[in-house]
Amino acid sequence: MKAVGTLWIAIALAGSGGCAGLGAKPWEHDLLAEHAMQVSAYPIEAGMDDHVYFSKEASSGGRSFAGGGCGCN
Amino acid sequence: MQLKPKMAANPPGVRRALAAAAAGLLAGGHAKAQEAPVDAPTTTIDSAVLVYHEVNRVQAIEPEVNLSHKLNEDSTFNFGITADSLTGATPLGAVPSTLSQSYVRPYKVIPLGTPVTVTSASGGSTVVLVPPPTGAKTQTLAASTVVPPNTYPFDHAFHDERIAGHLGWEQALTQNFKVDGGIAYSKEHDYRSESAHIGLSQDFNGHNTTLSAAVNYESDLSFPIGGTPTPLTPMNGNWKGPDASLHEVDALVGVTQVMSRRWLATLSYSYSDAHGYQTDPYKIISVVDSVSGQPNEQLYESRPDQRRKQSIFFDNKIHLTTDVISASLRGYKDDWGIKSLTADLRYRWQIGMNYYIEPHLRYYTQGAADFFHYYLVSGEAIPQYASADTRLAKFHAQTYGVKFGIPFDETSELNLRVEYYDQHGNGSPAGAIGQLQQQNLFPDLKAYTLLLGYTFAF
Repeated sequence: MKAVGTLWIAIALAGSGGCAGLGAKPWEHDLLAEHAMQVSAYPIEAGMDDHVYFSKEASSGGRSFAGGGCGCN
Repeated sequence: MQLKPKMAANPPGVRRALAAAAAGLLAGGHAKAQEAPVDAPTTTIDSAVLVYHEVNRVQAIEPEVNLSHKLNEDSTFNFGITADSLTGATPLGAVPSTLSQSYVRPYKVIPLGTPVTVTSASGGSTVVLVPPPTGAKTQTLAASTVVPPNTYPFDHAFHDERIAGHLGWEQALTQNFKVDGGIAYSKEHDYRSESAHIGLSQDFNGHNTTLSAAVNYESDLSFPIGGTPTPLTPMNGNWKGPDASLHEVDALVGVTQVMSRRWLATLSYSYSDAHGYQTDPYKIISVVDSVSGQPNEQLYESRPDQRRKQSIFFDNKIHLTTDVISASLRGYKDDWGIKSLTADLRYRWQIGMNYYIEPHLRYYTQGAADFFHYYLVSGEAIPQYASADTRLAKFHAQTYGVKFGIPFDETSELNLRVEYYDQHGNGSPAGAIGQLQQQNLFPDLKAYTLLLGYTFAF
Protein backbone atom coordinates (compact mmCIF):
# COMPACT_ATOMS: atom_id res chain seq x y z
CA MET A 1 0.00 0.00 0.00
CA LYS A 2 3.04 2.24 -0.07
CA ALA A 3 2.32 3.06 -3.67
CA VAL A 4 -1.19 4.08 -2.72
CA GLY A 5 0.13 6.55 -0.17
CA THR A 6 2.50 8.01 -2.71
CA LEU A 7 -0.33 8.45 -5.16
CA TRP A 8 -2.49 10.28 -2.65
CA ILE A 9 0.37 12.60 -1.82
CA ALA A 10 0.72 13.37 -5.49
CA ILE A 11 -2.98 14.02 -5.79
CA ALA A 12 -2.97 16.25 -2.74
CA LEU A 13 -0.08 18.26 -4.09
CA ALA A 14 -1.82 18.68 -7.40
CA GLY A 15 -5.06 19.72 -5.80
CA SER A 16 -3.39 22.21 -3.48
CA GLY A 17 -1.64 23.99 -6.26
CA GLY A 18 1.50 21.93 -6.27
CA CYS A 19 1.16 21.81 -10.01
CA ALA A 20 0.67 25.55 -10.26
CA GLY A 21 3.85 25.79 -12.27
CA LEU A 22 2.43 23.36 -14.78
CA GLY A 23 -0.47 23.76 -17.11
CA ALA A 24 -1.40 26.05 -19.94
CA LYS A 25 -3.20 29.35 -20.19
CA PRO A 26 -6.76 29.21 -21.53
CA TRP A 27 -5.64 30.52 -24.90
CA GLU A 28 -3.04 27.75 -25.05
CA HIS A 29 -5.52 24.89 -24.94
CA ASP A 30 -5.83 24.70 -28.71
CA LEU A 31 -3.73 21.57 -29.15
CA LEU A 32 -5.18 19.93 -26.04
CA ALA A 33 -8.65 20.37 -27.48
CA GLU A 34 -7.86 18.30 -30.55
CA HIS A 35 -9.57 14.95 -30.73
CA ALA A 36 -6.34 12.96 -30.73
CA MET A 37 -5.34 14.56 -27.42
CA GLN A 38 -8.45 13.45 -25.54
CA VAL A 39 -7.95 10.83 -22.83
CA SER A 40 -10.90 8.92 -24.20
CA ALA A 41 -10.52 9.67 -27.88
CA TYR A 42 -11.52 6.16 -29.04
CA PRO A 43 -13.62 4.59 -26.26
CA ILE A 44 -14.89 1.57 -28.24
CA GLU A 45 -11.39 0.67 -29.36
CA ALA A 46 -10.06 1.06 -25.82
CA GLY A 47 -12.88 -1.02 -24.40
CA MET A 48 -12.43 -3.81 -26.91
CA ASP A 49 -8.70 -3.87 -26.25
CA ASP A 50 -9.20 -3.98 -22.50
CA HIS A 51 -11.58 -6.86 -22.82
CA VAL A 52 -9.38 -8.88 -25.15
CA TYR A 53 -6.46 -8.52 -22.80
CA PHE A 54 -8.67 -9.18 -19.78
CA SER A 55 -9.67 -12.51 -21.27
CA LYS A 56 -6.14 -13.56 -22.25
CA GLU A 57 -4.08 -12.21 -19.38
CA ALA A 58 -4.44 -12.19 -15.60
CA SER A 59 -4.37 -8.41 -15.14
CA SER A 60 -7.09 -5.82 -15.44
CA GLY A 61 -7.86 -2.31 -14.33
CA GLY A 62 -5.83 0.85 -14.63
CA ARG A 63 -7.40 2.78 -17.45
CA SER A 64 -10.84 1.67 -16.32
CA PHE A 65 -12.46 -0.48 -13.68
CA ALA A 66 -11.08 -3.94 -13.09
CA GLY A 67 -14.37 -5.77 -13.50
CA GLY A 68 -15.17 -7.53 -16.70
CA GLY A 69 -18.86 -8.16 -16.90
CA CYS A 70 -18.22 -11.59 -18.30
CA GLY A 71 -17.12 -15.00 -17.19
CA CYS A 72 -14.09 -15.06 -19.37
CA ASN A 73 -11.46 -14.87 -16.70
CA MET B 1 -19.37 -20.61 -22.47
CA GLN B 2 -17.52 -18.65 -19.98
CA LEU B 3 -14.41 -20.37 -21.12
CA LYS B 4 -11.61 -17.99 -21.22
CA PRO B 5 -11.57 -17.96 -24.91
CA LYS B 6 -14.32 -15.57 -24.61
CA MET B 7 -11.65 -13.19 -25.06
CA ALA B 8 -11.92 -10.90 -27.85
CA ALA B 9 -15.16 -12.36 -28.43
CA ASN B 10 -17.11 -11.07 -25.67
CA PRO B 11 -15.92 -7.70 -25.10
CA PRO B 12 -18.82 -6.74 -22.99
CA GLY B 13 -20.59 -3.53 -23.10
CA VAL B 14 -20.02 -3.42 -19.40
CA ARG B 15 -16.31 -3.08 -19.66
CA ARG B 16 -16.66 -0.69 -22.52
CA ALA B 17 -19.09 1.46 -20.65
CA LEU B 18 -16.92 1.57 -17.59
CA ALA B 19 -13.87 2.36 -19.65
CA ALA B 20 -15.65 5.22 -21.30
CA ALA B 21 -17.05 6.49 -18.03
CA ALA B 22 -13.76 6.30 -16.20
CA ALA B 23 -11.84 7.77 -19.07
CA GLY B 24 -14.39 10.51 -19.39
CA LEU B 25 -13.91 11.45 -15.80
CA LEU B 26 -10.18 11.33 -16.06
CA ALA B 27 -10.32 13.43 -19.17
CA GLY B 28 -11.07 16.39 -17.00
CA GLY B 29 -11.94 19.77 -18.34
CA HIS B 30 -8.78 20.70 -20.09
CA ALA B 31 -10.66 21.25 -23.29
CA LYS B 32 -13.29 23.46 -21.80
CA ALA B 33 -11.38 26.53 -22.71
CA GLN B 34 -12.58 25.82 -26.20
CA GLU B 35 -16.16 26.98 -26.25
CA ALA B 36 -18.37 24.85 -28.43
CA PRO B 37 -19.88 26.59 -31.42
CA VAL B 38 -23.57 27.32 -31.12
CA ASP B 39 -24.37 24.97 -34.00
CA ALA B 40 -22.12 22.15 -32.75
CA PRO B 41 -23.53 18.63 -33.23
CA THR B 42 -25.43 17.26 -30.26
CA THR B 43 -25.54 13.58 -31.15
CA THR B 44 -22.59 11.31 -31.80
CA ILE B 45 -22.77 7.76 -33.14
CA ASP B 46 -19.68 5.70 -32.48
CA SER B 47 -19.51 2.27 -34.09
CA ALA B 48 -17.00 -0.50 -34.65
CA VAL B 49 -16.70 -4.10 -35.74
CA LEU B 50 -13.99 -6.33 -34.34
CA VAL B 51 -12.90 -9.49 -36.11
CA TYR B 52 -10.70 -11.65 -33.92
CA HIS B 53 -8.76 -14.67 -35.11
CA GLU B 54 -6.58 -16.89 -32.96
CA VAL B 55 -4.35 -19.29 -34.84
CA ASN B 56 -5.93 -22.74 -34.40
CA ARG B 57 -8.18 -21.50 -31.62
CA VAL B 58 -11.02 -19.06 -31.07
CA GLN B 59 -12.60 -16.97 -33.81
CA ALA B 60 -14.88 -14.09 -32.94
CA ILE B 61 -16.78 -11.22 -34.44
CA GLU B 62 -18.22 -8.35 -32.48
CA PRO B 63 -20.12 -5.27 -33.63
CA GLU B 64 -20.81 -2.39 -31.27
CA VAL B 65 -22.72 0.87 -31.48
CA ASN B 66 -22.71 3.69 -28.96
CA LEU B 67 -24.90 6.77 -29.04
CA SER B 68 -24.17 9.93 -27.10
CA HIS B 69 -26.63 12.82 -27.04
CA LYS B 70 -26.06 16.20 -25.48
CA LEU B 71 -29.38 17.30 -24.02
CA ASN B 72 -28.14 20.76 -23.09
CA GLU B 73 -24.94 22.51 -22.15
CA ASP B 74 -24.60 20.47 -18.95
CA SER B 75 -26.25 17.09 -19.57
CA THR B 76 -25.25 14.20 -21.79
CA PHE B 77 -27.05 10.89 -22.21
CA ASN B 78 -25.36 7.83 -23.66
CA PHE B 79 -26.44 4.37 -24.68
CA GLY B 80 -24.60 1.45 -26.21
CA ILE B 81 -25.23 -2.07 -27.36
CA THR B 82 -22.94 -4.84 -28.49
CA ALA B 83 -23.17 -8.46 -29.52
CA ASP B 84 -20.57 -11.07 -30.21
CA SER B 85 -20.19 -14.60 -31.38
CA LEU B 86 -17.31 -16.98 -30.73
CA THR B 87 -16.40 -20.42 -31.93
CA GLY B 88 -13.27 -22.49 -31.86
CA ALA B 89 -10.97 -24.34 -29.53
CA THR B 90 -9.88 -23.53 -26.02
CA PRO B 91 -7.28 -25.22 -23.79
CA LEU B 92 -8.73 -27.58 -21.23
CA GLY B 93 -5.85 -27.21 -18.80
CA ALA B 94 -4.80 -30.86 -18.96
CA VAL B 95 -1.29 -31.91 -19.96
CA PRO B 96 -0.56 -33.65 -23.26
CA SER B 97 0.48 -37.29 -23.24
CA THR B 98 2.31 -39.78 -25.42
CA LEU B 99 -0.92 -41.79 -25.19
CA SER B 100 -4.36 -41.05 -26.50
CA GLN B 101 -6.64 -39.34 -23.95
CA SER B 102 -10.39 -38.93 -23.71
CA TYR B 103 -12.39 -36.23 -21.95
CA VAL B 104 -16.05 -36.23 -21.10
CA ARG B 105 -18.30 -33.36 -20.06
CA PRO B 106 -22.05 -32.93 -19.51
CA TYR B 107 -23.95 -32.12 -22.67
CA LYS B 108 -27.69 -32.32 -22.07
CA VAL B 109 -30.33 -33.60 -19.60
CA ILE B 110 -33.23 -35.62 -21.01
CA PRO B 111 -36.19 -37.47 -19.41
CA LEU B 112 -35.40 -40.96 -18.26
CA GLY B 113 -36.23 -43.53 -20.88
CA THR B 114 -35.84 -41.22 -23.87
CA PRO B 115 -34.29 -43.18 -26.74
CA VAL B 116 -30.72 -42.10 -27.30
CA THR B 117 -28.77 -42.37 -30.50
CA VAL B 118 -25.03 -42.06 -30.27
CA THR B 119 -24.04 -39.21 -32.56
CA SER B 120 -21.18 -36.98 -33.37
CA ALA B 121 -21.37 -33.57 -31.74
CA SER B 122 -19.54 -30.47 -32.86
CA GLY B 123 -15.79 -30.31 -32.53
CA GLY B 124 -15.26 -34.02 -33.15
CA SER B 125 -16.82 -35.17 -29.88
CA THR B 126 -19.27 -38.02 -29.49
CA VAL B 127 -22.48 -37.89 -27.49
CA VAL B 128 -22.76 -40.74 -25.00
CA LEU B 129 -25.29 -41.69 -22.34
CA VAL B 130 -24.27 -41.45 -18.69
CA PRO B 131 -25.83 -44.27 -16.61
CA PRO B 132 -28.43 -42.60 -14.35
CA PRO B 133 -28.30 -43.17 -10.59
CA THR B 134 -30.99 -45.35 -9.01
CA GLY B 135 -34.30 -43.52 -8.71
CA ALA B 136 -33.34 -40.70 -11.06
CA LYS B 137 -36.08 -39.21 -13.24
CA THR B 138 -33.69 -37.81 -15.81
CA GLN B 139 -30.60 -39.01 -17.55
CA THR B 140 -27.58 -37.12 -18.78
CA LEU B 141 -25.98 -37.05 -22.16
CA ALA B 142 -22.29 -36.32 -22.22
CA ALA B 143 -19.87 -35.22 -24.95
CA SER B 144 -16.77 -37.38 -25.16
CA THR B 145 -13.67 -36.06 -26.94
CA VAL B 146 -10.57 -38.06 -27.84
CA VAL B 147 -7.23 -36.23 -27.89
CA PRO B 148 -4.51 -37.87 -30.03
CA PRO B 149 -1.07 -38.63 -28.55
CA ASN B 150 1.36 -35.72 -28.11
CA THR B 151 -1.38 -33.17 -28.68
CA TYR B 152 -2.26 -30.37 -26.31
CA PRO B 153 -5.82 -31.01 -25.08
CA PHE B 154 -8.33 -28.48 -26.38
CA ASP B 155 -12.08 -28.30 -26.16
CA HIS B 156 -12.94 -27.93 -29.83
CA ALA B 157 -16.63 -27.45 -29.23
CA PHE B 158 -16.28 -24.03 -27.66
CA HIS B 159 -18.90 -21.53 -28.73
CA ASP B 160 -20.62 -18.56 -27.24
CA GLU B 161 -22.90 -15.70 -28.05
CA ARG B 162 -23.33 -12.59 -26.06
CA ILE B 163 -25.37 -9.45 -25.95
CA ALA B 164 -24.66 -6.47 -23.76
CA GLY B 165 -25.82 -2.92 -23.27
CA HIS B 166 -25.22 0.10 -21.11
CA LEU B 167 -27.00 3.30 -20.23
CA GLY B 168 -25.33 6.38 -18.79
CA TRP B 169 -25.77 10.00 -17.82
CA GLU B 170 -23.27 12.78 -17.32
CA GLN B 171 -24.16 16.02 -15.56
CA ALA B 172 -22.10 19.14 -15.00
CA LEU B 173 -23.25 20.62 -11.69
CA THR B 174 -20.95 23.62 -11.82
CA GLN B 175 -18.38 24.85 -14.27
CA ASN B 176 -15.76 22.73 -12.50
CA PHE B 177 -17.70 19.83 -10.98
CA LYS B 178 -19.18 16.91 -12.86
CA VAL B 179 -20.99 13.73 -11.90
CA ASP B 180 -21.83 10.71 -14.00
CA GLY B 181 -23.54 7.40 -13.49
CA GLY B 182 -24.77 4.41 -15.38
CA ILE B 183 -25.88 0.83 -15.49
CA ALA B 184 -24.77 -2.09 -17.62
CA TYR B 185 -25.99 -5.57 -18.42
CA SER B 186 -24.59 -8.48 -20.36
CA LYS B 187 -25.84 -11.99 -20.99
CA GLU B 188 -24.27 -15.12 -22.35
CA HIS B 189 -25.76 -18.56 -22.40
CA ASP B 190 -23.85 -19.46 -19.25
CA TYR B 191 -23.12 -16.11 -17.60
CA ARG B 192 -24.95 -12.93 -16.66
CA SER B 193 -23.56 -9.65 -15.37
CA GLU B 194 -25.26 -6.55 -13.95
CA SER B 195 -23.46 -3.47 -12.75
CA ALA B 196 -23.89 0.15 -11.77
CA HIS B 197 -21.36 2.94 -11.35
CA ILE B 198 -21.09 6.54 -10.25
CA GLY B 199 -18.25 8.99 -10.65
CA LEU B 200 -17.26 12.52 -9.69
CA SER B 201 -14.68 14.90 -11.09
CA GLN B 202 -13.49 18.32 -10.01
CA ASP B 203 -11.38 20.74 -12.02
CA PHE B 204 -8.77 23.05 -10.49
CA ASN B 205 -6.17 25.51 -11.65
CA GLY B 206 -8.10 26.89 -14.55
CA HIS B 207 -9.07 23.48 -15.89
CA ASN B 208 -5.45 22.38 -15.84
CA THR B 209 -5.93 19.82 -13.07
CA THR B 210 -8.77 17.36 -12.65
CA LEU B 211 -9.28 15.09 -9.67
CA SER B 212 -11.66 12.23 -10.20
CA ALA B 213 -13.11 9.29 -8.33
CA ALA B 214 -15.50 6.54 -9.37
CA VAL B 215 -16.94 3.39 -7.90
CA ASN B 216 -18.60 0.43 -9.58
CA TYR B 217 -20.60 -2.47 -8.20
CA GLU B 218 -21.01 -5.64 -10.24
CA SER B 219 -23.12 -8.70 -9.57
CA ASP B 220 -22.55 -11.75 -11.75
CA LEU B 221 -24.17 -15.15 -12.01
CA SER B 222 -22.47 -18.18 -13.53
CA PHE B 223 -24.55 -21.08 -14.79
CA PRO B 224 -22.14 -23.34 -16.65
CA ILE B 225 -23.29 -25.95 -19.14
CA GLY B 226 -23.61 -29.10 -17.09
CA GLY B 227 -23.78 -27.26 -13.77
CA THR B 228 -21.07 -25.94 -11.48
CA PRO B 229 -18.52 -28.64 -10.67
CA THR B 230 -17.10 -29.19 -7.21
CA PRO B 231 -13.47 -28.02 -7.32
CA LEU B 232 -10.79 -30.70 -7.38
CA THR B 233 -13.20 -33.54 -8.09
CA PRO B 234 -12.69 -35.81 -11.12
CA MET B 235 -14.00 -34.60 -14.45
CA ASN B 236 -17.01 -36.61 -15.55
CA GLY B 237 -20.18 -36.41 -17.61
CA ASN B 238 -22.60 -36.13 -14.71
CA TRP B 239 -24.66 -33.01 -14.11
CA LYS B 240 -23.07 -30.75 -11.49
CA GLY B 241 -24.07 -28.25 -8.84
CA PRO B 242 -26.24 -25.10 -8.88
CA ASP B 243 -25.49 -21.63 -10.22
CA ALA B 244 -22.70 -19.63 -8.61
CA SER B 245 -22.54 -15.88 -7.95
CA LEU B 246 -19.81 -13.27 -7.84
CA HIS B 247 -19.91 -9.78 -6.35
CA GLU B 248 -17.29 -7.19 -7.08
CA VAL B 249 -16.63 -3.60 -6.00
CA ASP B 250 -14.22 -1.49 -8.00
CA ALA B 251 -12.93 1.95 -7.11
CA LEU B 252 -10.79 4.31 -9.13
CA VAL B 253 -9.18 7.64 -8.25
CA GLY B 254 -7.05 9.73 -10.52
CA VAL B 255 -5.58 13.05 -11.42
CA THR B 256 -5.26 14.46 -14.90
CA GLN B 257 -2.81 17.30 -15.32
CA VAL B 258 -2.11 19.61 -18.20
CA MET B 259 1.67 19.65 -18.03
CA SER B 260 2.08 22.14 -20.85
CA ARG B 261 0.40 23.30 -24.02
CA ARG B 262 1.50 20.02 -25.64
CA TRP B 263 1.48 17.48 -22.80
CA LEU B 264 -1.40 15.90 -20.93
CA ALA B 265 -0.68 13.36 -18.17
CA THR B 266 -2.99 11.09 -16.17
CA LEU B 267 -2.16 9.10 -13.08
CA SER B 268 -4.77 6.78 -11.64
CA TYR B 269 -5.08 4.06 -9.04
CA SER B 270 -7.73 1.37 -9.10
CA TYR B 271 -8.74 -1.17 -6.49
CA SER B 272 -11.01 -4.14 -6.92
CA ASP B 273 -12.43 -6.53 -4.35
CA ALA B 274 -14.25 -9.59 -5.63
CA HIS B 275 -16.06 -12.21 -3.58
CA GLY B 276 -17.65 -15.34 -4.93
CA TYR B 277 -17.16 -17.91 -7.63
CA GLN B 278 -14.03 -17.16 -9.64
CA THR B 279 -13.09 -20.65 -10.72
CA ASP B 280 -13.37 -21.51 -14.40
CA PRO B 281 -15.96 -24.33 -14.38
CA TYR B 282 -14.65 -25.78 -17.64
CA LYS B 283 -10.99 -25.94 -16.71
CA ILE B 284 -9.27 -29.04 -15.42
CA ILE B 285 -5.84 -29.93 -14.07
CA SER B 286 -4.07 -33.23 -14.58
CA VAL B 287 -2.81 -35.46 -11.78
CA VAL B 288 0.18 -37.28 -13.24
CA ASP B 289 2.12 -40.38 -12.27
CA SER B 290 5.16 -39.43 -10.22
CA VAL B 291 7.51 -41.44 -12.44
CA SER B 292 6.08 -41.70 -15.94
CA GLY B 293 4.35 -38.31 -16.00
CA GLN B 294 1.30 -39.89 -17.60
CA PRO B 295 -1.98 -38.29 -16.47
CA ASN B 296 -3.86 -40.61 -14.14
CA GLU B 297 -6.75 -38.33 -13.40
CA GLN B 298 -8.27 -34.99 -14.45
CA LEU B 299 -9.66 -32.76 -11.69
CA TYR B 300 -11.78 -29.63 -11.98
CA GLU B 301 -9.64 -26.63 -11.06
CA SER B 302 -10.02 -24.60 -7.87
CA ARG B 303 -9.47 -20.87 -7.28
CA PRO B 304 -9.96 -18.72 -4.17
CA ASP B 305 -13.34 -17.07 -3.65
CA GLN B 306 -11.73 -13.74 -2.89
CA ARG B 307 -9.48 -11.61 -5.03
CA ARG B 308 -8.15 -8.12 -4.36
CA LYS B 309 -6.58 -6.35 -7.31
CA GLN B 310 -4.65 -3.09 -7.45
CA SER B 311 -3.19 -1.19 -10.34
CA ILE B 312 -1.49 2.10 -11.04
CA PHE B 313 -1.80 3.57 -14.50
CA PHE B 314 0.26 6.43 -15.91
CA ASP B 315 -0.80 7.77 -19.27
CA ASN B 316 0.68 10.54 -21.37
CA LYS B 317 -0.35 12.31 -24.53
CA ILE B 318 2.22 14.51 -26.17
CA HIS B 319 1.44 16.74 -29.14
CA LEU B 320 4.40 17.28 -31.45
CA THR B 321 4.19 19.68 -34.33
CA THR B 322 1.39 17.72 -35.95
CA ASP B 323 1.85 14.17 -34.64
CA VAL B 324 0.69 12.81 -31.27
CA ILE B 325 2.46 10.32 -29.02
CA SER B 326 0.45 8.24 -26.55
CA ALA B 327 2.52 6.39 -23.98
CA SER B 328 1.36 4.55 -20.88
CA LEU B 329 2.62 2.28 -18.14
CA ARG B 330 0.57 0.08 -15.83
CA GLY B 331 1.70 -1.76 -12.75
CA TYR B 332 -0.61 -4.41 -11.33
CA LYS B 333 -0.70 -6.84 -8.44
CA ASP B 334 -3.28 -8.94 -6.67
CA ASP B 335 -3.52 -11.23 -3.68
CA TRP B 336 -3.42 -14.30 -5.89
CA GLY B 337 0.28 -13.53 -6.20
CA ILE B 338 0.16 -12.14 -9.72
CA LYS B 339 2.23 -9.09 -10.62
CA SER B 340 2.40 -7.56 -14.05
CA LEU B 341 3.75 -4.62 -16.02
CA THR B 342 2.28 -3.23 -19.22
CA ALA B 343 3.89 -0.68 -21.54
CA ASP B 344 1.98 0.80 -24.45
CA LEU B 345 3.19 3.18 -27.13
CA ARG B 346 1.35 4.73 -30.09
CA TYR B 347 2.60 7.27 -32.58
CA ARG B 348 -0.07 9.09 -34.55
CA TRP B 349 1.64 10.20 -37.70
CA GLN B 350 -0.44 12.90 -39.37
CA ILE B 351 -0.14 12.78 -43.14
CA GLY B 352 -1.32 16.08 -44.49
CA MET B 353 -4.72 17.24 -43.33
CA ASN B 354 -6.72 14.20 -44.35
CA TYR B 355 -5.05 11.01 -43.09
CA TYR B 356 -3.04 9.56 -40.27
CA ILE B 357 -1.18 6.34 -39.67
CA GLU B 358 -0.67 5.13 -36.11
CA PRO B 359 1.81 2.34 -35.36
CA HIS B 360 1.24 0.63 -32.02
CA LEU B 361 3.52 -1.42 -29.76
CA ARG B 362 2.54 -3.07 -26.49
CA TYR B 363 4.61 -5.19 -24.15
CA TYR B 364 3.15 -7.17 -21.27
CA THR B 365 4.77 -9.42 -18.70
CA GLN B 366 3.25 -11.19 -15.72
CA GLY B 367 4.26 -13.53 -12.93
CA ALA B 368 2.35 -16.69 -12.03
CA ALA B 369 -0.47 -17.02 -9.52
CA ASP B 370 0.51 -18.73 -6.27
CA PHE B 371 -1.73 -21.67 -7.09
CA PHE B 372 -0.74 -22.14 -10.71
CA HIS B 373 0.59 -25.62 -11.42
CA TYR B 374 1.26 -27.19 -14.79
CA TYR B 375 -0.02 -30.40 -13.19
CA LEU B 376 -0.38 -32.13 -9.83
CA VAL B 377 1.47 -35.29 -8.87
CA SER B 378 -0.08 -38.54 -7.69
CA GLY B 379 0.77 -39.39 -4.11
CA GLU B 380 1.32 -35.77 -3.12
CA ALA B 381 -1.16 -33.75 -1.09
CA ILE B 382 -3.75 -31.97 -3.22
CA PRO B 383 -3.56 -28.20 -2.50
CA GLN B 384 -6.67 -26.22 -1.60
CA TYR B 385 -6.35 -24.19 -4.78
CA ALA B 386 -4.89 -25.36 -8.05
CA SER B 387 -5.24 -24.23 -11.65
CA ALA B 388 -3.38 -25.13 -14.83
CA ASP B 389 -4.93 -22.25 -16.74
CA THR B 390 -1.93 -20.76 -18.54
CA ARG B 391 -3.47 -17.30 -18.26
CA LEU B 392 -2.40 -17.57 -14.62
CA ALA B 393 1.12 -18.68 -15.55
CA LYS B 394 4.25 -16.62 -15.96
CA PHE B 395 4.47 -15.31 -19.53
CA HIS B 396 5.06 -12.28 -21.67
CA ALA B 397 3.28 -10.97 -24.73
CA GLN B 398 3.76 -8.42 -27.48
CA THR B 399 1.27 -6.59 -29.64
CA TYR B 400 2.20 -5.04 -32.98
CA GLY B 401 -0.37 -2.97 -34.77
CA VAL B 402 -1.07 -0.19 -37.19
CA LYS B 403 -4.11 1.99 -37.61
CA PHE B 404 -5.10 4.01 -40.62
CA GLY B 405 -7.55 6.84 -40.05
CA ILE B 406 -9.46 9.31 -42.18
CA PRO B 407 -10.87 12.12 -40.04
CA PHE B 408 -13.56 13.98 -41.96
CA ASP B 409 -13.80 16.73 -39.37
CA GLU B 410 -13.51 17.13 -35.59
CA THR B 411 -16.40 14.74 -34.95
CA SER B 412 -16.35 12.25 -37.83
CA GLU B 413 -13.80 9.60 -38.66
CA LEU B 414 -13.36 6.30 -40.44
CA ASN B 415 -10.49 4.08 -39.31
CA LEU B 416 -9.13 0.59 -39.79
CA ARG B 417 -6.71 -1.16 -37.46
CA VAL B 418 -4.80 -4.41 -37.84
CA GLU B 419 -2.93 -6.00 -34.92
CA TYR B 420 -0.97 -9.11 -34.11
CA TYR B 421 -0.73 -10.51 -30.56
CA ASP B 422 1.92 -13.04 -29.60
CA GLN B 423 2.02 -14.68 -26.16
CA HIS B 424 4.92 -16.83 -24.94
CA GLY B 425 5.36 -18.85 -21.77
CA ASN B 426 7.60 -21.62 -20.56
CA GLY B 427 6.45 -24.86 -22.18
CA SER B 428 9.28 -26.89 -20.67
CA PRO B 429 9.27 -26.18 -16.93
CA ALA B 430 12.18 -27.38 -14.84
CA GLY B 431 11.59 -30.68 -13.09
CA ALA B 432 9.01 -31.95 -15.57
CA ILE B 433 8.29 -35.60 -14.88
CA GLY B 434 8.78 -38.48 -17.33
CA GLN B 435 6.99 -38.03 -20.63
CA LEU B 436 6.16 -34.42 -19.78
CA GLN B 437 9.77 -33.52 -20.56
CA GLN B 438 9.03 -34.04 -24.24
CA GLN B 439 5.75 -32.13 -24.25
CA ASN B 440 5.00 -28.44 -24.70
CA LEU B 441 3.11 -27.48 -21.54
CA PHE B 442 2.45 -23.87 -22.56
CA PRO B 443 0.63 -23.60 -25.87
CA ASP B 444 1.72 -20.31 -27.40
CA LEU B 445 -1.04 -17.98 -28.45
CA LYS B 446 -1.00 -15.97 -31.66
CA ALA B 447 -3.95 -13.80 -32.61
CA TYR B 448 -4.86 -11.31 -35.32
CA THR B 449 -7.44 -8.58 -34.94
CA LEU B 450 -9.11 -6.39 -37.50
CA LEU B 451 -11.01 -3.40 -36.19
CA LEU B 452 -13.11 -1.15 -38.38
CA GLY B 453 -14.47 1.98 -36.75
CA TYR B 454 -16.76 4.77 -37.90
CA THR B 455 -17.82 7.81 -35.90
CA PHE B 456 -20.06 10.64 -36.98
CA ALA B 457 -22.05 13.41 -35.33
CA PHE B 458 -25.09 15.44 -36.23
